Amino acid sequence: MLIFVVLCPVLFIVQMSLRTGLDAFQMPPTFPFSVTLQNYVDLIEGKFVRSLVNSTVTSTSTTGLALLLGVPAAYAFSRARIRATGLVSLWTLATRMAPPIAFGIPFFLLYKDLGLIDTRLGLIVIYLTFNLSLVIWMMRAFFDGLPRSLEEAAYIDGAGVVRAFLRITLPLSAPGLATTAIFTFLLSWNDFFYSLILTRSAAVTAPVAIVNFMNYESWEWGKVAAAATVIMLPVVALSIVVRKYLVRGLTAGAVKG
Amino acid sequence: MTDRIARVAASERIAAATEEAAHTARGARTSWRRARKMVFVAFVAPAVLVLVVVTILPLLYLVVTSFTPLDLTNPASLRWAGLTNYQQLAGDDRFWNSVWVQAQLSFWTVSLQLVIGFAIALLLNGRMRFLELVRSTFLVPMVLPPVVVALIWKILFTPDISILDWTLGLLHLPQPAWLADPRLALWAVIIADVWEWFPFVMLMLLAALQMLPEEPLEAARLDGASKWQAFRYVTLPLLKPAIVVAALFRLIDSVKAFPLIFIMTGGGPGTATEVTNYYAYLEGFSYTYVGYSSAIIVVMLLATLLMSMALLRVSNREVDVE
Repeated sequence: MLIFVVLCPVLFIVQMSLRTGLDAFQMPPTFPFSVTLQNYVDLIEGKFVRSLVNSTVTSTSTTGLALLLGVPAAYAFSRARIRATGLVSLWTLATRMAPPIAFGIPFFLLYKDLGLIDTRLGLIVIYLTFNLSLVIWMMRAFFDGLPRSLEEAAYIDGAGVVRAFLRITLPLSAPGLATTAIFTFLLSWNDFFYSLILTRSAAVTAPVAIVNFMNYESWEWGKVAAAATVIMLPVVALSIVVRKYLVRGLTAGAVKG
Repeated sequence: MTDRIARVAASERIAAATEEAAHTARGARTSWRRARKMVFVAFVAPAVLVLVVVTILPLLYLVVTSFTPLDLTNPASLRWAGLTNYQQLAGDDRFWNSVWVQAQLSFWTVSLQLVIGFAIALLLNGRMRFLELVRSTFLVPMVLPPVVVALIWKILFTPDISILDWTLGLLHLPQPAWLADPRLALWAVIIADVWEWFPFVMLMLLAALQMLPEEPLEAARLDGASKWQAFRYVTLPLLKPAIVVAALFRLIDSVKAFPLIFIMTGGGPGTATEVTNYYAYLEGFSYTYVGYSSAIIVVMLLATLLMSMALLRVSNREVDVE
């Protein structure tokens, strides 16, 4: 019963996406209904695919960049016993808590001068504001859970520090890496605000594209429902993979994992 | 005699050898430490540099623009104006209205999420596989892209095309035009936000419930406490830190209902759902008064910072207790 109440809104939109224009608004809903993929076909033929590509490219790139910069830093923070733990967590928390518009305005002004408005690069960089500190925070917790003795042994056997990190520690933390990567990907994929103010047409991501065609083609609710279904599918699939770490990721900075 | 001397000499040799071995090991250790220090600096530097560039510098720039009458249509307006924006803000009714709307939104969403999230957490606290499955499905609302959540509820609150509207009609309840009614529009947003985020509270409290020690509850039971008494006087106090942390998190995040408001109501009707965040967005990007908008956000940031510090303090105390 509870599950039904919680999931009903989601199922409602999915079934809506599978109906023809008029059928979607028959109240009461008729069952069974004739399933059609017409809404999805229309989507593929429209501009929506381009925004999906934008979303995928920006989310993937920013994830890669955040990992590249953040993982070594997290390792150093974990192993060096630097007394900066408090600072790192405050920073992580602050960037997570700040309303996006606080970064939105200065980045907008800057991008206007640099010609980065409506570019994927612009989005990739601004997503680092929340991704990078998240990566450092999450990976440090994972590294803390790995024994140091292995690295030390590797060093005595003649491996350099970097080599010991790359060959021993990194492979062992693969699950942590995967979880962190999924998290940053999801956060970037779900972003609405930055894409809304920093893109116009060329670099528009899927969430903003939906809103745009809701405004211009508001009668096509079936298509809107189909687009919504398309962008939520990967999110639901990926979050099932990381559900154990969901709380840790969402409370990064304040609560120990 | 000679035998004994030989034996002593041998043991001395062994001792010396052992010490030497220990010495080389220690030597390796120190050089390992030194090498590591260098690598660590190289590892941390790029990340910190990028963080400073993408987070600290923009925020400083934001503070600077908040002291200017910057207007996007007039680049020459980037000039020092002192506290003008802040003075104007203090007398801006629309700003104070937005603070009031935000306060109502925050109060109702956080309290409802706490109550519902806590109730469901208690209901689902168990180790059965079935419960685990149920818990996973409850996570769906909060991981959905906020845009999708907003679209779903926009459709549900639109008369004639919504199953919600139809159900209310079936029960002979009023079928209001939620989003067009100034009294109901905020409630429509509240309902959507509660649906989206009660799983967060549920998840945090479930985690806390499962880490509760068994002993105090058992002791209470042995002392003849009823189920309710055990809950009220043992479980609840033990959960208090987790509840406070969850509430503070939701309180701070309740400022970010932007996609819901943008898509469902656009701040309307009138200014009925215009929260401060949204007002700042309108000033900056619809009316192009970026300077004024920055001032609004600086005020918001200060409020957020205060709440975050409260949050850190509470969660640190919780860790200390452990």
